[in-house]
Amino acid sequence: MATIRVERADGRTVDEIEWKAEELEIVERPNGAAAAAILSAGFGALVLGLLASLSEASTAAHDWFDFQARVGPLSGKTIMSVVAYVASWAVLAPVMWKRSFALNTVFVIAAVLIGAGLVGTFPKFFELFAPE
Amino acid sequence: MEVSNRETWAALHGMFFGAIFLIAFAGGLAGLWSLRPEWVTVNGIRERMFRLKVGVSVMAAVAWVTVVTGTWIVYPWYRAAPPEDATDLSKYPRSLLLETPGKEQWHTFGMEWKEHVAWMSPILATAVAFIVLYYGNQLIVDKKLRYASIVLYILAFAAAGVAGALGAFITKAAPIL
Repeated sequence: MATIRVERADGRTVDEIEWKAEELEIVERPNGAAAAAILSAGFGALVLGLLASLSEASTAAHDWFDFQARVGPLSGKTIMSVVAYVASWAVLAPVMWKRSFALNTVFVIAAVLIGAGLVGTFPKFFELFAPE
Repeated sequence: MEVSNRETWAALHGMFFGAIFLIAFAGGLAGLWSLRPEWVTVNGIRERMFRLKVGVSVMAAVAWVTVVTGTWIVYPWYRAAPPEDATDLSKYPRSLLLETPGKEQWHTFGMEWKEHVAWMSPILATAVAFIVLYYGNQLIVDKKLRYASIVLYILAFAAAGVAGALGAFITKAAPIL
């Protein structure tokens, strides 16, 4: 408990604001729901990177990703990445929801997935797969 | 002074949504960082948690709106192919960059990276928004989850930052008219 004591100009001392000790009850939830959200985000990022590289490496894939002509292959790559992200979350969440996991392991896996996804979206990387 | 439909959408995509994104990120990050038991009172937690939930939700929603408008509204104007006999490429930014010596890399590197990496942002921001909305006050005592959320949140911002900065430079080199 802490008090803010104010000494007024007329010499009076007043406790202007008094902080009272209060209790906050927190009911802990298993971390599985968070783990599922983090891993599926990592998976979505990975798929985005993989599809960016695949589209560069394969003309057939490049053409297949052309879901919307005005947008070009980016339409297919982004739609499929979001579908992979949502689908993986839909699969992982019910399985992991009421369980708890070693979060350090989850973080390492997510870091690898996101890191690989970032590398896959980097032009200097995916251009390595471009046909001669 | 006249602003075309294309310029309006480009400004909405890059500046308006970008500004909301920045504000929401700053609020969300400050909220996540200061969510420590030694710094907050019960009343403070209630006020802070509401602000945090709004901040992370708005950031995730705006990130989705930004990439969707960018990809499906603005990007087609950027990549539109000019007619074969076109001599003025000013309305075809992609072709203008590729045909202008010294500017090719704004497309081959800049736009190629921007159009992909930007999509990381809403995906990562959504994970953070979910964690904050679902776990709420538990983040005060669950340091690991809070720190993980902060890292994901910063990564989401960094991805959007790369895309936003490249977008600004590309627009300067070849604006969408």
